[in-house]
Amino acid sequence: MKSSGLRINNAELWGGAIWFAISLFVLEQGRQLGLGSINSPGMGFMMFWLGIVMGGLSLIIAVQSIQSEGPSVRSLWAGTRWAKTLIVIVTFIIYAFAFTRLGFLLSTIPLMLVLLRAIDPVRWTIALPLSFAAPLLIWWVLERVLQIQLPTGMFEIG
Amino acid sequence: MKRTALALLSAAILAAVAAPAAAQNFPTKPINLIVPWPAGGSTDIAMRAIAEAASKHLGQPIIVDNRAGGSGTVGPAQMAATAKPDGYTIAQIPITIFRLPLMQKTTWDAQKDFTYIAHLTGYTFGVTVRADSEFKTWADVVKFAKANPGKVTYATPGAGTSLHIGMEQIAAREGIKVTQVPFKGGAETNAAVLGGHTMLQVESSGWKALVDAGKLRLLMIWTAKPSANYPGVPTLQQLGYPFVFDSPFGIAGPKGMDPKIVATIHDAFKKAVDDPAVQATLAKYDMVVNYKNTADYVKFVKEVIDAESKVVDMLGLKKKE
Amino acid sequence: MDLLSQVAHGFAVALTPINLLYCFIGVFIGTLVGVLPGIGPVSAMSLLMPVTLAGTPESGIIMMAGIYYGSMYGGSTTSILVNIPGEATSVVTCLDGHEMAKQGRAGPALGMAAIASFIAGTIAVVGLMIIAPYLAHFAVAFGPAEMFSLMVLGLVIVTFLTQGSMLKSLLMASAGIVLGLVGLDSITAQPRLTFDRLELYDGIGLVPVVMGLFGVAEVLSNIEQGIKRTVSNADIGSKLPTRDDWKRSKGPIGRGTVLGFFLGIIPGGGAVIAAFASYALEKRLSKTPERFGKGAIEGVAGPEAANNSAAGGAFIPLLTLGIPPNVVMALLLGAFVIHNIQPGPLLMVQRPDLFWGVITSMYIGNVMLLVLNLPLIGIWVQLLRLPYNILFPMILLFTVIGVFASSNNVFDLYVMIAFGLIGYLTRKLGYEAAPLVLAFVLGSIMENKLRTALIISAGDLTTFFTKPISAVCLSVAAIMLLMPLIPVLRKKREQVALEDGQS
Repeated sequence: MKSSGLRINNAELWGGAIWFAISLFVLEQGRQLGLGSINSPGMGFMMFWLGIVMGGLSLIIAVQSIQSEGPSVRSLWAGTRWAKTLIVIVTFIIYAFAFTRLGFLLSTIPLMLVLLRAIDPVRWTIALPLSFAAPLLIWWVLERVLQIQLPTGMFEIG
Repeated sequence: MKRTALALLSAAILAAVAAPAAAQNFPTKPINLIVPWPAGGSTDIAMRAIAEAASKHLGQPIIVDNRAGGSGTVGPAQMAATAKPDGYTIAQIPITIFRLPLMQKTTWDAQKDFTYIAHLTGYTFGVTVRADSEFKTWADVVKFAKANPGKVTYATPGAGTSLHIGMEQIAAREGIKVTQVPFKGGAETNAAVLGGHTMLQVESSGWKALVDAGKLRLLMIWTAKPSANYPGVPTLQQLGYPFVFDSPFGIAGPKGMDPKIVATIHDAFKKAVDDPAVQATLAKYDMVVNYKNTADYVKFVKEVIDAESKVVDMLGLKKKE
Repeated sequence: MDLLSQVAHGFAVALTPINLLYCFIGVFIGTLVGVLPGIGPVSAMSLLMPVTLAGTPESGIIMMAGIYYGSMYGGSTTSILVNIPGEATSVVTCLDGHEMAKQGRAGPALGMAAIASFIAGTIAVVGLMIIAPYLAHFAVAFGPAEMFSLMVLGLVIVTFLTQGSMLKSLLMASAGIVLGLVGLDSITAQPRLTFDRLELYDGIGLVPVVMGLFGVAEVLSNIEQGIKRTVSNADIGSKLPTRDDWKRSKGPIGRGTVLGFFLGIIPGGGAVIAAFASYALEKRLSKTPERFGKGAIEGVAGPEAANNSAAGGAFIPLLTLGIPPNVVMALLLGAFVIHNIQPGPLLMVQRPDLFWGVITSMYIGNVMLLVLNLPLIGIWVQLLRLPYNILFPMILLFTVIGVFASSNNVFDLYVMIAFGLIGYLTRKLGYEAAPLVLAFVLGSIMENKLRTALIISAGDLTTFFTKPISAVCLSVAAIMLLMPLIPVLRKKREQVALEDGQS
């Protein structure tokens, strides 16, 4: 086991660093909210102390990562289909954005089509009916049976 | 021919799916009633009974949503901040909604952020101890507190509630120091005093079942007249304090509700509190119907805020600007 | 003898055709809402409350209770099949249940979950009959200090669930507490960490967090790995647990039942801790703890037993003191009140027919649930035959619906996507999601109890060590935290000794 020293693409080190930043944020928020006194703790009391605990834990992780070999950031994604994951994430964000604007049906049917075709393409003869049938069925169950209102969007469909 | 059929069909689908005109058909789905206390306390029980009766008149179920915390203000504050004023979200409005803004920074303005609907009823407050407590009467508590300042702990449903304010007024008059422990509501204060975690419980009549079963002892009640349910228990005035504390409450929605929707909900709740079955449930908890219509309720809110401002100032709890 | 005659009386009430019907409707709806994410027993019970008014109080309450324990059965189904926990208590079922499904053992996992639930549910009912009156004190023995210490213990237990490093688990748990504190403060009603987003005044929703961290993150990881997990049809064949599965599960079911029953009595968070604690206990006791997290059936049987018997234990404070320990019990209390019955210490005396009728109906309801659920397993398992490229869009659609149905707010959709991403990235770095979820559920309760406890003790921190229950909880937590260090130290010493010998 070779000593790795300070390596900039050490994933563990980055993890520790990000956590450390978060803990500083939590600690500062706790301080701003007010610690109160020990016999009547304020709103920030718990957060302040949690920030300190988290800071300590993240520092230990960072130090450990320098002492021993951690995986590099690149190796975590090596040999994976990260592009496909990215497609799903981006599609999903666009979907959430379109959800209230276009309404449930007009946004969900295209979502299903994209997911079914863009990742590991499903035959059109299956993909098409499925992307229409599934959202319609769900729409019917929610809207009619359970009386949960789904967004109708600017065209007021669905 | 085919084209008209298609047009008809699509028109029919559109008609079926288009949102119905809001105010006329209200309500078309269940209504959420936020009760800002944990389930099982007296408010919760009373509101469930009233809501059940009101839902019959509305033709839609009313779902009680317990959102406890912040002395009964977290629920209404969340409603004021996030709910649409469509009548499908309403909340019980405890007096702390008016009082807390006088004491500290809050997220709401009691006079601007709510659409008041109807005033409904009020509480009977009382002080209880566990049955095996050394405190047999209120005088025992005072004696102990004089000898041990700050040692007497009392559970309330939250800081700034009428229970807290009332107890501090009594303590100020006796010249004793007692420690308030804020919980979220009656179910929690019951558990706290039963488990021996606090010495006293100061709460509205959610303790009834436990007092009746002999698990808790009622030391005093804060109404003007002695309770019919507990004739032997002294009132504040009988103990020599010139006070009567109650805490009336009603319901409200977020600001900007359609007056037609307000009227629909108001009518349903009015009928509910007129219902003898509901009154019987309320009577069990020593609660009396204290109905005010929408306009009177709005006027009442202003009066309460003015009156509370004086009390809070007197106790030195007023917000520092 | 007195007890027997009362039980017989109870059965006479529970076995009338109309009550049997209500019981069946209740457990059926319960199974349904348990399977559907986002729609929990609370919303189903609220909607059906008016229906219960039509019949006698017994029928209404029997049905409402049926929905509750029925949903406990259903909750594990989606955890096992698609890694989406229906509620906080079934988060832990995901850990090994979904692994088993990936290995083509969804049938045994579902079967064991149903059977463990049945056994635990039934034993809990018996416990409820015999010892309920004696346990009323136990429910209120947990004041603020005791609750805080129990929560600390709960969080320490969680760090044992995961396979990765304990430090990382503790970090995730701390982050979970912070997330749980978002929203209006429970004592002063002032906003915390809301960044002026009104949607955050309500706090962050549990459903979008869980759906994101488990459901969405799982899908993202699977897509990245390519479709390695096509389960061959032959593997799916066996629906029932094997003899070996049985042998492994006996102990966990027994221990899970006892643990769940007692923790279920404690108001607030007891049931959730029970499921996690059972998992941790089994992992500790196991001779092969390395199997946990990789499809160990004990990790399904124990927690499932625990959360079902917790559902039984939760009735104790309600029926004996009139204090509901959770929201579902509060709804039941509402049902009592609407029928003009006051639950509390006098219920058993004043309305024995109701008390014993409801309790015995739970016994019958559990039998119904088993009969209902075992055949369903065959159908659920068929779902996994779908190729993953068809299945995953359905899973994502399912999460969207669950999130939206629970809150009716598109903001939660963004929250879910954000937590999906967080879950995916933290998983990459070896941080697991389960500790975060439990801490998230317990965080705000824990903070509130800490502050209340300090007010009661007038700022005296020793209160956590002088109260016996609290002291026990904290000592166990401390031992558990330090224990992993001991073998490390010992090993180092041995290593040193070994090296000395060789040189």
